[in-house]
Amino acid sequence: MTLLSLAEAVNGRRVRITSVDLEGEAAAWLGAVGLHEGEELIVLRRAALGGPLHVRTGGGGEFAVAREVAQRIRVSTVEGPSEAPGERPSERVGTP
Amino acid sequence: MSAEPSCHAAPVSRQRPSGRPPRDALGTLTVALAGRPNSGKSSLYNALTGGDAHVGNYPGITVDILEGNVELPSGAHAVIADLPGFYSVEATVDKTTDEGVARAFLDGFEKTGRRLVVVQVVDTTRLALGLRLTAELLRAHLPLIIVLTHKDVLGREGHTIDVAALSAAIGAPVVLVNARDPATKAVVLGAIDDHAREGNDTQGAGHFDAAKVARAVVKDVGNASELRRRHLTERVDSVLLHPLIGPVLFVGIMSLLFAAVFLVADPASSLMDTLIGLARARLAGLFGKNLFTSFIADGILGGAGTVLAFMPQIVILTVALELLEASGYLARGAFLVDRLLRLLGLSGRSFLPLLMGHACAVPAIASTRIVRDPRERLTTILVIPLMTCSARLPTYGLVLATFFGHRSALFRAFIFVGLYFAGILTALVASWTLRRTATKGKGLPLVLEIPAYRVPQARVVARKAYQSGRRFLRDVGTIIVATSAVLWVLLTVPMPGSTAAPGIERSVAATIGRTIEPVTRPAGFDWRINVGLIGSFGAREVMVGTMGVIFGVENAADDPAPLTKRLRDAKKPDGSLVYTTATGLALLAFFVLACQCMSTVAAIRRETGSWRWPAFVLAYTYALGYVAAVLVYQVSALFGLR
Repeated sequence: MTLLSLAEAVNGRRVRITSVDLEGEAAAWLGAVGLHEGEELIVLRRAALGGPLHVRTGGGGEFAVAREVAQRIRVSTVEGPSEAPGERPSERVGTP
Repeated sequence: MSAEPSCHAAPVSRQRPSGRPPRDALGTLTVALAGRPNSGKSSLYNALTGGDAHVGNYPGITVDILEGNVELPSGAHAVIADLPGFYSVEATVDKTTDEGVARAFLDGFEKTGRRLVVVQVVDTTRLALGLRLTAELLRAHLPLIIVLTHKDVLGREGHTIDVAALSAAIGAPVVLVNARDPATKAVVLGAIDDHAREGNDTQGAGHFDAAKVARAVVKDVGNASELRRRHLTERVDSVLLHPLIGPVLFVGIMSLLFAAVFLVADPASSLMDTLIGLARARLAGLFGKNLFTSFIADGILGGAGTVLAFMPQIVILTVALELLEASGYLARGAFLVDRLLRLLGLSGRSFLPLLMGHACAVPAIASTRIVRDPRERLTTILVIPLMTCSARLPTYGLVLATFFGHRSALFRAFIFVGLYFAGILTALVASWTLRRTATKGKGLPLVLEIPAYRVPQARVVARKAYQSGRRFLRDVGTIIVATSAVLWVLLTVPMPGSTAAPGIERSVAATIGRTIEPVTRPAGFDWRINVGLIGSFGAREVMVGTMGVIFGVENAADDPAPLTKRLRDAKKPDGSLVYTTATGLALLAFFVLACQCMSTVAAIRRETGSWRWPAFVLAYTYALGYVAAVLVYQVSALFGLR
């Protein structure tokens, strides 16, 4: 369980938000949108030239998150089965 | 704006509903459709109201909230109000954003005590996210019904949802629907009726863990199809959002779209132009040459009729943009261009309003409410008028057909696309400049939801197309007919004391146009174009109609030739051409840049709450337009285009 910022997370690796280092209002809004402490995320891809990150949350949402915001979101890597929809082991029935 | 309730104050209602007046004493029930953006609200609104929409009047709300009337199964009447999408009623928000508007709406009901039921639309495939807002709405003690949408998608994904368990867990009625299913209306209206009858005294307090509840009620019943869908989305995204291929594809798709608007609509416009020419000749043949024939043929047909020919372009553009938006592609476009826009002081959030500006600036300016950063929002509002809106198309079409009619349609389409990109480029440079001067300050970085790909709903797209067509027809039927009629009078009545030769040159309009010729001559504009520019100050689509009226009156209905030919063949007394390719290019440059639209000015006034910014937009766009027209005309002359 390594702590790092979301901006440093490896594409395709599951991470969990441990804290959001933003002022109250901005953090509250991020939480309302679905990016809050305890939420599991996967970075799907990054836009070119330092553009935003494309992430999928455990709640099933996908978001474009600017790198500046991602740098303020502390995450830890997650080992073991995921709780995110589409990622649960039971959902892998029928796949090779 | 000052009349709006403050959205920075405590969140909406904190009162228990027990003390409110009897239900029937406070009039018709209002049903507010609420939910996160992309939750399926528009589809449900259409399903419930059949597309019926008028702008509601709510105290403290200065923006348009559409509402439609419905009859409940009990026979009672209710009004369905479609709120903007929002994420939270608790987080402090700027009152000018969509969240602020929704909050002001709900606060307003609490103050007046009028009957309200909030129907929260939740995308079932993103249940945990939707339930976070549910908890907030329950904590605010708002009478709540949950409508879960995308039942069909949930089934395809191999999931089922335990509706009864969800209802028990959150303490509010829940119905699961597919907005495309005809039975949806009866199910939802039935739930509203039940709620209105039974009240919300047993409603939950909103203290539940959204993620836990979502996990507990959604069951997997087989997921091969969900994985296939997810893999397909992944594959599509891996191309469309590829760091290199994605941006190239994006520019290509946009270019194709603009070119298609031209190539599909061009023949329709030419046909209409020819038909109007024939109708004018027929009128002259039937009723002879008199003032009445001239008024109908030159004033009304020449003016409004000529503009009418451009309706196909406007409808096609609206449909294309709506398809891109509803499919989920535009949010991906925002992801792709965010970095570029950040360099210019904007963000991916501004992208959607900027793109919508290509259909019409007025709704685009209203849609800037999705931009949470006030400075970024103001900058976006100030540069949206530079986007090539559909009202510019008649003038673009006329100039291209007049001066480039002999070139291939593809060549003209190329210039047409170039005009769009000229507008975009200028807007980007303008925002870069503004963010370093007038709207200087640190911006809020992007966090934007990327919706799932969806097949756009034909009814929703058709409604948008119908609305844009109707708005255009209304403008043609009112503003343009009126302007054409007034112009015909001004072109027919001689200016008292004028010493010019008899005929149109002595008219009031010609005299005014000639007075400003010294200013516009460096751009190659003569008195006729000047009259057109004055006429189109309030609405730029009037320009083509004005030229139609001028040339109709001038040629006294003798000449059934299309307007393009009459413009091309117009000669000065010395036999030289009045208009050349250089004039056409200069006119295009002016039209790309100048904000000739009073509706846009009014929209900027409404959204900024001040006259300062609309005045600023008028000043800078007209200055840019004039300088560009002069430069283009003079440079074209250097290349022998005069």
